[in-house]
Amino acid sequence: MAENVPSSVEIVGLVTAAGLMAASVGASIGRSWKVSALLKTVAAVCGWFSIIVGGAVLVSHSAGRGGWLPLDDNFDSLGASGLMLATCALYIQAVRPVGGLDWVVLPVAALLLIGAAVFGRTLPHEYGETAWSWTHRLTAYGGALALVIAGAVGALYLLAAHRLRAKGLASGSGFGNLERLETIAQHAMALGWPLFTIGLVTGILWGIHLTSQGQSESREFFGPKVMLAVGVWIVYALALHTPINPSFRGRKAAVLSLIGLVLMAGTLVAVQFMPGGTR
Amino acid sequence: MQRIFLLGLNHTTAPLEVREKVALNSEQALAAVSAFIGKFNNCEIVVLSTCNRLEFYTALPDEAHGDGQQQWVEQVVGFLADFRQVPAEVFAPCLYQKTGEAAAEHLFTVASSLDSMVLGETQILGQVRQAYDASRQVGAAGPVLHPLFQRAMAVGKQVHSQTSLAEGRVSVASVAVDYAKRIFDTFSDKTVLSIGAGKMSLLVLRNLVDLKPKRLLICNRDHGKAATLAEQFDGEAVDLEKLADHLVSADIVVSGTGSEQALITRAMFEGVMRRRRYKPVFLIDIALPRDVEPSVGEADNVYLYNLDDLQKTAEASREQRGEATEAAGLIVAEHVRQFTAAERVRRLGPTIDRLYRRYHAWAQEELERAMPKLTNISANEKEQLQELVRRLVNKVLHDPVRTLRQSDALHGPTAQYIHAMEMLFQLKEEEGQKD
Repeated sequence: MAENVPSSVEIVGLVTAAGLMAASVGASIGRSWKVSALLKTVAAVCGWFSIIVGGAVLVSHSAGRGGWLPLDDNFDSLGASGLMLATCALYIQAVRPVGGLDWVVLPVAALLLIGAAVFGRTLPHEYGETAWSWTHRLTAYGGALALVIAGAVGALYLLAAHRLRAKGLASGSGFGNLERLETIAQHAMALGWPLFTIGLVTGILWGIHLTSQGQSESREFFGPKVMLAVGVWIVYALALHTPINPSFRGRKAAVLSLIGLVLMAGTLVAVQFMPGGTR
Repeated sequence: MQRIFLLGLNHTTAPLEVREKVALNSEQALAAVSAFIGKFNNCEIVVLSTCNRLEFYTALPDEAHGDGQQQWVEQVVGFLADFRQVPAEVFAPCLYQKTGEAAAEHLFTVASSLDSMVLGETQILGQVRQAYDASRQVGAAGPVLHPLFQRAMAVGKQVHSQTSLAEGRVSVASVAVDYAKRIFDTFSDKTVLSIGAGKMSLLVLRNLVDLKPKRLLICNRDHGKAATLAEQFDGEAVDLEKLADHLVSADIVVSGTGSEQALITRAMFEGVMRRRRYKPVFLIDIALPRDVEPSVGEADNVYLYNLDDLQKTAEASREQRGEATEAAGLIVAEHVRQFTAAERVRRLGPTIDRLYRRYHAWAQEELERAMPKLTNISANEKEQLQELVRRLVNKVLHDPVRTLRQSDALHGPTAQYIHAMEMLFQLKEEEGQKD
């Protein structure tokens, strides 16, 4: 694998992608003052275009150095981290908008792209592993926390719905109304799932990287931690996309989020107590 | 002589499924009263039919005890079964019967809303008045039921004005809004659909409108009425024929029609939910018979509440209003005592009247027989003799009459004393001669 510092074109490309992200954020913030279809279009176009530009730059750079694992390279690892964050944020805003999510996430993603541009030519490629491990930990645990909240709120939803069906208003539910609980659960999943996705992807890639360096064995990819994490990911992907299957909302979605919570608990146990789990 | 007789069922003895089969709207109640007096030879009757009860107040002859009373019960049950085209065995097990003082106490308790599912509700008094007016309209109320219902309304008014029973009550409408708030977070993006224009449904609608929903749809068989209500509540009048379409957009549905058949069936609503993409919906069915098939409430994301559900929740506030309940109970008890005493006087009146008339007549007869034998008697002396005779008769009858008036308080049923008095003083013979 050749050492490959990013070319000026690639750096400019990545900075351009960062700039487009910033423009997207600006347009999105502008919509909070003036409701405008034009601003909404500008925000979406700039956002997705930044992903395309950034993605093209990283693909070009990976091809140039003859390797695809982003951890081997500062430019790729920081850039990929930023692009993954941005992609997830834009996806969530497209399917289940969370007010202000892009205002927070896209600037972070843009900073990561800027970081890639700044440290891309730095040797040795230490930032790759550092940034990657931090990205993995923050997104995996942050996503897990959000998904736990989604599962817990799903449990509250089921309890509240049960009390309503039992017509037990006199005793009071104390859990909040169903619509709010469903919204909180959906928002928690909307935040948690993409974070968890990034955590899963970065974790798997990190595992491949360690295996390629002889620091790990491939069978650990099929260990309980990864398998359970994939299971959790699938469950929450289903729960998050219930509007696509409209009958799967309300109580059924809450049950699904609860199943995800149980799997998540299992994953966390597997991380702590099972072989190969603590990475 | 006749006494009050009550035969009925209510929310504590009959479930909603039974009550909706025998319930009578105002037109049906009037028709029932007319049919009843036609069938039972102008027997007095008042029919009280509400969401929570169906009660027949009639006048039963004093002689009817045991088998006689049971025969009367069977006749009334048979009448209701025929009138409503419902087998008697459906509702007969839920019936209760009361006579005399117990029946009066029950009615006073009902009129005071102490027997209502929602303690302190004010509708019942109007319903009692309506029932009484309907009977008066066709001449079905007489000397037994007139004083009973007039006093019942007085009791109800006094309880509501002198106790805090009606204050702080949890109404069905407020319970419906509370349930809506348990399901939905915001209402500014919700659509409310009202079907029918019953009093209760309008009350609920009024409370829901205060939540400021995005849209209000008013649906009624009479489009003119729907338009009037739509104007009143700042909503839109919509066609009942397109009910399924309206249900698709409605997040909260209030239904209170007088329809005998369910308007919203499970099959219809499954299609509606599919079109709504299974968004949660709150159905409030306050009709009797119900407008919504109970099985509709079993579907996911459908929250169906009928009248009993809402009223039971409202009833939960009963424990917190003990003082007001106690005060109301005392008022009712006092009125029962007064009514019973007045009834006793009413029942005794003719007997006592006949007693006095007979003995005054005899005394006068004897005086006139003796007068010719008294010579040189002045007008003044004659007057004094008449006064003497009158006072003598009154004095002789004073103790037995006083005992008779106090009879229920001291010994046994007034009827026995009256009967004994009539036998001892041969008052029945005189009544026969007069006839």
